[in-house]
Amino acid sequence: MSAASKLTGEAALKQAEALLSSAGARARLARGRIVVTLEPADLVETAARLRDDEKLSFTYLSFVSGVDYPDRMEAVYILRSLEHQQLLELRVRLDRDRPSLPTVSGIWSTAAWHEREAYDLLGIVFEGHPDLRRILTRGEDGVFPLRKDARPHRVQRDEWSFAGIGAAKRLPGEEDRSERS
Amino acid sequence: MAESRDILMPPAIGRSPDPYADEHRDFHLEEMVLNMGPQHPSTHGVLRLVLHLDGELIVSVDPQLGYLHRGFEKLAENRTYLQFFSMLARLDYLAGFFMEWAYVRAIEDLMQIEPPPRAEYLRVICGELNRIISHHMAIGDYLLNLGAVTPVLWAFRDREDVLDLLEMLTGQRMMYNFARVGGVRYDLPDGFAEQCRRFLKGFPAKIDEYEQLISGNEIFLARSLGMGVITPGQAADFGLSGPNLRATGVAMDLRRHAPYSVYPKLDFDIPVGKNGDSFDRYKCRIEELRQSVRIIEQALDAMPGGPVNMKVPPMLRPPAGEAFCAVETGRGEWSNYLVSDGSLRPHRLKLRDSCFVAISTLPKILPGFKIADVVGITGSLDLIMGAVDR
Repeated sequence: MSAASKLTGEAALKQAEALLSSAGARARLARGRIVVTLEPADLVETAARLRDDEKLSFTYLSFVSGVDYPDRMEAVYILRSLEHQQLLELRVRLDRDRPSLPTVSGIWSTAAWHEREAYDLLGIVFEGHPDLRRILTRGEDGVFPLRKDARPHRVQRDEWSFAGIGAAKRLPGEEDRSERS
Repeated sequence: MAESRDILMPPAIGRSPDPYADEHRDFHLEEMVLNMGPQHPSTHGVLRLVLHLDGELIVSVDPQLGYLHRGFEKLAENRTYLQFFSMLARLDYLAGFFMEWAYVRAIEDLMQIEPPPRAEYLRVICGELNRIISHHMAIGDYLLNLGAVTPVLWAFRDREDVLDLLEMLTGQRMMYNFARVGGVRYDLPDGFAEQCRRFLKGFPAKIDEYEQLISGNEIFLARSLGMGVITPGQAADFGLSGPNLRATGVAMDLRRHAPYSVYPKLDFDIPVGKNGDSFDRYKCRIEELRQSVRIIEQALDAMPGGPVNMKVPPMLRPPAGEAFCAVETGRGEWSNYLVSDGSLRPHRLKLRDSCFVAISTLPKILPGFKIADVVGITGSLDLIMGAVDR
């Protein structure tokens, strides 16, 4: 890991752009890391290229997770290149109603558990996953807790207001949160 | 009738009975499922391992998590940035400052502010003191798992000195609440530097004592050398970090390879192992104790004057965006992925923990070892369930 092997951000971005196959994929630099936006269909191929490319060698997957936006869901992958000290964020845009994308557990073994967690908390289905079970919650009610519209099951049944229990009061200058999602 | 008489016949003289012979086919040999935990004392919390055994040998392992799942990520979405702050040290409750550090760095990254230099040095001092107590527990508890009681008592005795220092600095022994967006809560109290230097002067001799007690012990060597071996390739594939990764020989430390705070200005070595077994993991932690002493000494010497925090709005409202910030804790990479929508509360906060990843390697490294080594190998990985289950 000598200083000579360290790529600059721009050079790494250029190299990453060269690896993207389809027209839908985009790469940019933001806050010191490369952010790549992809379609689900291109994920596995691009991920394998990013790992195997000698100039980038993103061999280390930090985590797989997701974010529930009001209009979409996004799967997020953070990759690290230990050799070249680069950070890369893969973002895959998903349909919020039926979020699914192929697994990358064949590329990084660590993805298997992170994908289980993302499935457990957000309901993202990873196709081809060897063992897609819940991991942190028991999921008896089919609730994916980190979705913005998730409600605790007891509250849902009794039609109590969620705002009075788990969520905090409205703060001055804050919009009404009960309207959201 | 004739058959059953055959079975009752004594074996011929000079021939030992063959347990696999047809006549003994009612003597079943089959895989046994053994449930270990969640209340097992060696699981450092509430980890449950479902072990499939062939006699004494492990065939496969299925770790079950979630017994300490408190929904931190969801709770963060329902609180303001500052309200969530005091919960962070409850994640990895043995070295809570790292969680606070990563969280404030993510917010500072979004808000584009940089804390004053004195605050960065104070964060480094507090962080390295946390690393020392974290490794104290790691080494002491690991040896306790192997049946040695003295090391954990010694570790707790010396850990108390560090906790005293942290109490002086932050007002708390474990749940610090010390980092602030734009700095830290307090400046150094009177007498802290002297007491800290006194501790740092005496501590290396104590590390030597640990080594004299543990490193050459035959029972320890028999139970740690060659146990739970992880190759560098497997470690990268599984995303291991921290001492567990460095024990395999990969010199990766975020303090050096994704530099943050004032670590680039400080001189320290990255200890690496060779074989990636339990012994190397233990040895890496021992060496890191020495490096932490060096770092704190330098930080105390080089610390500039000036303020330790800066004015930030009482209601934080970071601009919309996504921040990713990682710190090197005693256990490896702890990182936050913080999504702000410009409101008073985080839109999403993903907490990434290195012990979660370390547990995911167990199904790979445990099979083939004896059941008595399960506690040894899991202990050498230094797991903390509060951070795993979140």
